[in-house]
Amino acid sequence: MTVDPAQIAALIPLLVIAGVGCLALLLDTFNKGRAPALWLAQLGCLAALAAVANQWMGATSSQPIWAGMWVVDRMALFLDAVLIATALLTLLVAAPFMREHDFEHGEHHALVLFATAGMMTVVHATHLLSLLIGIETMSLAAYLLVASWRRQPAGAEGALKYLLLGAFAAGFLVYGTALIYGTTGGEMSYAGIAARAGRAAGNPLFIVGVYFLLTGMLFKIAAVPFHMWVPDAYEGAPTPVTGFMAAGIKVAAVGGLVRLLGAVFANPGLALGHAGWVRLLGGVAFVTMTWGNLAALRQENVKRMLAYSSIAHAGYLMIGLVALGQKVDGAQPALLVYLAAYAFTTLGVFAVVAWVGRRDDERVRVREWAGLARSRPAVALAMTVLLLSLAGVPPTGGFFGKFYVFRAAMQSPDLAWLVVAAVLNSLVSVYYYLRIVVAMYFSDPVRPWQPFPSVGIAVVLVVTVVVVLALGLVPRPVVELAAGGLITRW
Amino acid sequence: MTDLTLIVLVPLIGAIWVMVAPWGERTSRPIGIIAALVSLGQSLFILHDFDKSIGAFQMEVDRPWVPSLGIHFHLGVDGISLWLVLLTTLMVFLTLLSPQAMGLHKTRSRGFTAAMLVLEAGMLGTFLAIDLFAFYVFWELMLIPMYFIIGIWGGERRLYAAIKFVIFTLVGSLLMLAAILYLYAQVHAVTGQWTFDYATWATITLPRGPELLCFLAFTLAFMIKVPLVPLHTWLPDAHVEAPTGGSVILASVLLKFGAYGFLRFALPFFPLAAQQTAPIIAWLAVAGIIFGALMAWVQDDVKKLVAYSSISHLGFVVLGILVLSQKGIQGGIFQMLAHGISTGGLFLAVGILYDRRHTRRLSDFGGLWKQMPVFGGCFLVLVLASAGLPGLCGFIGEFLVLSGTFTAGKDWQASGLAAPMFGHPALLAGLAALAVILAAVYLLTMYQRVMFGPLDKPENRDPQVRDLGLRERLVFGVLVLAALVMGMAPQPILERTAASVQELTANYRDRLAEARANPIGPARRVIPGQRPAQAQAGRRF
Repeated sequence: MTVDPAQIAALIPLLVIAGVGCLALLLDTFNKGRAPALWLAQLGCLAALAAVANQWMGATSSQPIWAGMWVVDRMALFLDAVLIATALLTLLVAAPFMREHDFEHGEHHALVLFATAGMMTVVHATHLLSLLIGIETMSLAAYLLVASWRRQPAGAEGALKYLLLGAFAAGFLVYGTALIYGTTGGEMSYAGIAARAGRAAGNPLFIVGVYFLLTGMLFKIAAVPFHMWVPDAYEGAPTPVTGFMAAGIKVAAVGGLVRLLGAVFANPGLALGHAGWVRLLGGVAFVTMTWGNLAALRQENVKRMLAYSSIAHAGYLMIGLVALGQKVDGAQPALLVYLAAYAFTTLGVFAVVAWVGRRDDERVRVREWAGLARSRPAVALAMTVLLLSLAGVPPTGGFFGKFYVFRAAMQSPDLAWLVVAAVLNSLVSVYYYLRIVVAMYFSDPVRPWQPFPSVGIAVVLVVTVVVVLALGLVPRPVVELAAGGLITRW
Repeated sequence: MTDLTLIVLVPLIGAIWVMVAPWGERTSRPIGIIAALVSLGQSLFILHDFDKSIGAFQMEVDRPWVPSLGIHFHLGVDGISLWLVLLTTLMVFLTLLSPQAMGLHKTRSRGFTAAMLVLEAGMLGTFLAIDLFAFYVFWELMLIPMYFIIGIWGGERRLYAAIKFVIFTLVGSLLMLAAILYLYAQVHAVTGQWTFDYATWATITLPRGPELLCFLAFTLAFMIKVPLVPLHTWLPDAHVEAPTGGSVILASVLLKFGAYGFLRFALPFFPLAAQQTAPIIAWLAVAGIIFGALMAWVQDDVKKLVAYSSISHLGFVVLGILVLSQKGIQGGIFQMLAHGISTGGLFLAVGILYDRRHTRRLSDFGGLWKQMPVFGGCFLVLVLASAGLPGLCGFIGEFLVLSGTFTAGKDWQASGLAAPMFGHPALLAGLAALAVILAAVYLLTMYQRVMFGPLDKPENRDPQVRDLGLRERLVFGVLVLAALVMGMAPQPILERTAASVQELTANYRDRLAEARANPIGPARRVIPGQRPAQAQAGRRF
C-alpha cells in the first residue's frame, strides 16, 4: 500500500500535538525540572496552530482521506484552532495553579496534549471507528486529568464517577456502531451510512443503533439525563482542567455531532415518522437547558454552578444541532461561532476561579468572592464581562453566538418554541451569574484577598476578554471564517 | 460635526478614558463632565442641522457590521428621536455636574462616572439605531450600568432593588429578542434577504396570530419600561434605592424608552394588533395615571412620592400615543420631554434635600424656605411644572394629550377608519384630567410640608442645611430655564416633531387599512403608497 504524502501532510497538526505530547512526557521522565516540558508543550501548540493556519490557507476538500476515515475541511480546521487555543490557554493557567497548589506533574501537560489530539480526531472523523478512537483518547486523558489532584478527595470521587459513566457511554457508542455496521451491510463511514440510511431505516435495529450512538455523544456534551457526572467531575478536577474539559470536550463532542447529524439525521430516509427525532432531540434540548439553569440557581459552589451552566449551554447548542439536522440555512457556522465564543468565555471564567484560590483555601463558595472588585477591580471587571457573555448579554461573544444559533432555529417552524424557551432560560441564568457579580461588587470581603501573582493567568484573562468582546463587537471576521471563507475585510 | 456615530462613541471613549486615566478617582468626574459636555455639544449640532420639513430619517450613518447576516451599524435621527437625544445628553451632563449624583457615597466616583457614560452611549444608541440588531445591542447596553449604579451606589435595600430592576427589564427585553428573531426570519421569508433594516421591517405585515404575539412581546418590554400598571412594581424600589444620579437618569431618560418603543416599533410593525389592543392599553394608562397620583398622595417619603408621580405622568405619554392621532402623539412626545425636565429636576431636588438632611420623610422637614431660598425658588418652578401649571413645560404636553384624546373618535371617523374601540375617549380624557387636579394636590402639599411652615425642628436649623452651591445653581438654573422656555415657546419643539409624526400616522393608517382589507393574508410586504388625501394634509400646530 502506498501512502500519498499529501495524506500525511493533512495530519500535520495532529501529529505535532501528539508528538509533542510524547516528547513532553519523555522530557519529564528524564528531567524532573518543571519548566522545559511546559515550554515544549506550549511551543507545540503554537506550531500546531501555525500548521492549522497553513492548511486553512491551502486548498481544503470535503473529500474524506485515509480510506474514508478523516476529512480536512474548513469546519474541522476552525474547531482545531479553537481546540489548540483551548489547550494553550489551559497550559498557561495550569502551570501557576499547580505550582501554587503543589502538585506539579509533568505528565499533566502531556495529558492535555493527548486529550487535545483526541478532540481533534473527533472533529476530523468521518468514520465511526475514527470517531470512537478520538472519543476514547480524549476521555482517557480527561479521566486522568480529573484525578490528577491527588490530595483532593473530591477529585478521586469525580474521576471515578466520570470513568464509570464514561465507560458506559463508550459501551453505547460501540454497541451502536456494531448495530449500524450490521444493519447497513458493513458500513461505518458517514457517507456510506448516509447512503444506506434510507433503506436501513426500515430495520428497527438500525434505529436503535443510531440512538445508541447519539446517547454516547449526548453523554459527552453533558445533555440531561446523561449529565450526572458533570458537577462532580467539574468540582473535583483541578480548576484549569475543569476549564479545559468544559471548553474542549464540549467543542469536540459538538463538532463530532455536527458531522454525525449532518450525515445521518439530515437524511430524509430517517424521518422516523413525522420528524420524530426533531421532537425527541428538541425535547432533550429543552430539558437540558432548563434543568441546567434551575439546578445552577441552587449552587453555592462556583465550580458546581459553572458545571450546571455548562449543562445549560449544552441545551442551547442542541437547539443548533436540531436545526442543523433539519438542514436549516446557516446552522453549522452558527454552531461554530457559538462554540468559539463559549470556549474562550469558559476558559476565562475558570482562569479567574483558578486564580482566586490559595493553597488550602480554594475559595470556591460564592460568598467567598465578596469584595473582589475593591481588591482587584480589573479581574472583577474581566469576570463580569465573561459572566455576561455566558449569560448572553450584548455586546459579548456569548450574545452573538446565541443570536446566531437562534437565528438558525427560528427558520424552522418546529423550533420557534425552543427559541422562546431558550430566551427565557437565559433570564434564569442571568440570576445566578449575577450572584457572583453581586458578591464581587456589592459585598464586603469575608477574608482579605491575596491571590497569587501570575503572568500566565493575566495573559489568559486579557486574551479571553479581548476575544469575547471582539466576537461581540466585530463578529464579522469569525462569521466569515465559520462559514468556511477567508476573511475578506476586517 | 454631525456624525451620529461620534455622538455614540464620545461617551464610550470618555468611559474608557475615565477607567484608564492614571490619576484615578480625583479626575474622573471632570473627565466625565467633559465627555458629557462634548456629547451635549454634538447633539446641539444635530439640532442645528436638523431639517424640520423632512419626516424621514436624517443624517443617516450606515456601515456594514456583519453583512452576511444583514446586520448594519445604521443610525439616523428623525423628529421623534431628535429631542430625546438632546434630553439625554443634557440630563447626563447635568447629573454628572451635580455634586449629589452618587447620593451619600463619596468613594468610587471613577466607576460611577464610567457607568454613567456607558449608560449614555447605550441610551443614545437606542434612540438613534434604525437597525434592529444595533437597537437591541444598545438596549441591553443600558441595563448593566444601571444595575451597577443602583447596586453599588444605592441605598439600604439596593441589592433587592437592583436585582428586581434587572429581572423585570430582562423579562421584557428577552421576549422582545425572541420576537425580533421571529420577525427577522419572517422578513427573510418575505423579501428573500436577511436584513435588520428598520425601513424594510416597517413594511412587513404578519399574519394575524403571530402579529399579535410579536406585538405583545414588544409591548411587554415597553410596558415594563414605562412602566404601566400593573408592571410598575420595580420602579418605586429602583427609584428610591438608586443614588440621585441614577434616579434622575432613570426618570428622565430610561423610562422614555417604553413610550419611544411604542412609537418607533410597536405601532409601525404591528398596526392591526396595536389598534386592537389600544383600548386595553389606553385604559391601563389611565389606571396608571390615577393610581400613580393616589399613591403619590399618601407617601411620606419624598422620593417615593416623586416616583409615583412619575408613573402618573408617563401614563399621559402612553395615552397620547395610543390615541393614534397627530395631536395625541405630538403631545405624548412633548410630555416625555417635559417629564424629563421636571421629574428629573424633582429627583435632583430630593437629592439635595437628602444630602442636607439625610432623611426623605416629609414629616422631618418644614420651614426650609428660610434656610434655602434659592433652592426653594427653583424647587417651586419644578413642582409647578410637574403639576402642569400653564406657562411651564408640563402643561403643554398634558393639554395636547387630553385634547387629542377628547377628539380621538372624530379624528378616526374622519379618516375613514372606525374609531379604535375606546369606549368613550371623552371618558378617558375626563378621568385623566382628574389626575391633573390630584397632581396639584399632592405636589403642592409636598412642597408646603417641606418648604413652608415653622422652622421648628433643630436639625433643619443646622448650618449643614445650606443653600445651593455654585454647581447646584448652575444645574437648577438650566432646568428652570428649560421648563420656562418649553412652557412659553413650545413651537420649536412641536414643529420639529410634526413631519415625522405625520409620516408615522399616515403610514400607520395605510398599513392598517391594508391589514383590515386582507384579514387572513399571509406575511407580506406592504409599501405605504397612495395615502388618502386627508391623511396627507395632516394637522399642524
